[in-house]
Amino acid sequence: MRRTRVAARSSGQPRAVLGFVMALPPLLLIAVFAGLPIVLAVGYSLGHTGGLNSVTASYAQHQHVATSGWGTFAAYREMLATGRFRTDVAVTVLVTLLSTAVVLVLALGIALNLRLRGGRVAGAIAALGVIPLFIPVVIASWAILTFYSTDGFIRSVFAQVGLDAPALGFKVVTIVIGSVWTSLPFAVLMVSSGIQSVPDAVIDAARDSGAGLLRTTRSVILPMAFIPIVIATTFTAIGVLGSFTVPYFTGPNSPRMLGVDIQNYFAAYNQPQQAIVIAVTIFVLASGIAVLYIWANFRSANSKDL
Amino acid sequence: MARRLTTNVLLTLFLALLVVFILGPLLWLGIRAFATSWTYPNLLPDGWTLEWWRKVIADNQLSTAVQNSLTFAPLTVIVSAVICLPAAYAFGRHDFAGRKIMLVGIFATNAFPKMGLFVTMASMFYALGLMQTVLGIVIVHVMGTVVFMTWIPAAAFGAVPRSLEEAARDAGASPARVFFRVTLPLALPGILVAMVMSFLASFDEAQGTYLVGYPDYLTMPTQMYSLVLNYPLQMAAVFSILLSIPSVLLLALAHRHIMGGQLAEGFQLR
Repeated sequence: MRRTRVAARSSGQPRAVLGFVMALPPLLLIAVFAGLPIVLAVGYSLGHTGGLNSVTASYAQHQHVATSGWGTFAAYREMLATGRFRTDVAVTVLVTLLSTAVVLVLALGIALNLRLRGGRVAGAIAALGVIPLFIPVVIASWAILTFYSTDGFIRSVFAQVGLDAPALGFKVVTIVIGSVWTSLPFAVLMVSSGIQSVPDAVIDAARDSGAGLLRTTRSVILPMAFIPIVIATTFTAIGVLGSFTVPYFTGPNSPRMLGVDIQNYFAAYNQPQQAIVIAVTIFVLASGIAVLYIWANFRSANSKDL
Repeated sequence: MARRLTTNVLLTLFLALLVVFILGPLLWLGIRAFATSWTYPNLLPDGWTLEWWRKVIADNQLSTAVQNSLTFAPLTVIVSAVICLPAAYAFGRHDFAGRKIMLVGIFATNAFPKMGLFVTMASMFYALGLMQTVLGIVIVHVMGTVVFMTWIPAAAFGAVPRSLEEAARDAGASPARVFFRVTLPLALPGILVAMVMSFLASFDEAQGTYLVGYPDYLTMPTQMYSLVLNYPLQMAAVFSILLSIPSVLLLALAHRHIMGGQLAEGFQLR
């Protein structure tokens, strides 16, 4: 299927040039307004304060300026020596892992139920999982905070029967709840699209040869839907890792997630260099995850070409 | 038989929990927009009123934010479409050197945290005189839509069967006619989904807008931040409902295509 599609893509010399030129505008936009700032920012974090960085550098507090040609790691050393920063990195990674795991389990459950059982209830469950896609994150975060807080719904319900439920406002758990809520739709769409496209014949064949439901799922369905599952996982993880709104509204003041730290160092402490060091830290972590995504995509492309 | 019953009970229970998890917070917040006051631990407010709606509509700052949001979101979709749709067509239909690397490159910036990107953009925007300008805000918003507006339509263009176009050509239709009568209509669901996602991304964008636009241009999500801290809870609830209306309308418009896999297709690079 994919082979014929690639083969049908036109690749004559002049048309190839035309295609390349047509594809350029969004890339140029990204190069100018994201690529260049990122390069400048990394330079600034290494102590290069001149050029386009000079505006920022002029008001920055507690700045490390490069003394050698390539720069200095002083800002990185300073941040890594801060216990607070190390805790925040750990919390950010923890929240990312937990949220991604929960999102993945929910999305897989919803998608498998839709594929293997089907019916109206399964459809309703899947539709429900997509609803958060249409709610602005600011509102979602705030709604979740009020729902789980001291005078929120959960505690009110427990109080009706005389029980005292824990207040979950401004906790790390609340960030996980909020992240799962906001990340669920994309994962549900991705994973169910992957699992829906496993042909009936393949599943029936596995069942006919005596494989149980679990075995069919594990050795037939999941491998065939591998790429969409990897995509769902990586995008969820990258999204949570760099998130700001959800932890800003629902999370505690300490420990904080790195996305909130960036804002604090930039706006509250007037330390843009340290803010960028945090941004680069997230970027490095996210790049690790992104490699997984790219690897999965290319692996599939290669295996299909064989 | 008993096992089937157990699964059904479990499934119904899961559905109930999911309803509470997904819809609960929204309802709990929504009811507040019509509440006089609310005493813990009652499950309903003390009384009902439309007073907060009047207050929000009468508040100049808030209605300006509504107007700004309703201007920037469509503007973003148009600019993004002009920049990205030709590229999407090229990615879907042409094979050229570096095609796949360019497709991945469009996503690469998403790995850099948004907040960090805005901090780094700010310095450059000062230098270029883009602070507190409409153009500056549109750039920030468009940046958040490039992945949707390129990837999803690219997959849609790529999936249009060549045989249909060839048949139209054989019947004597000009290339332009083939594009507008065959290719574009078939790719339209994907483009529609991309536009909806871009509209929502722009409508949802808060930090970048605040950084570039404050204090001249404030949109609804940027106002939400100050609302939550400085106004009665009920007014923020009213505002939340207002902010959700466009999204819900778009959901009604595009949910069939989004659920049908247009979005998912776009994220699998081919």
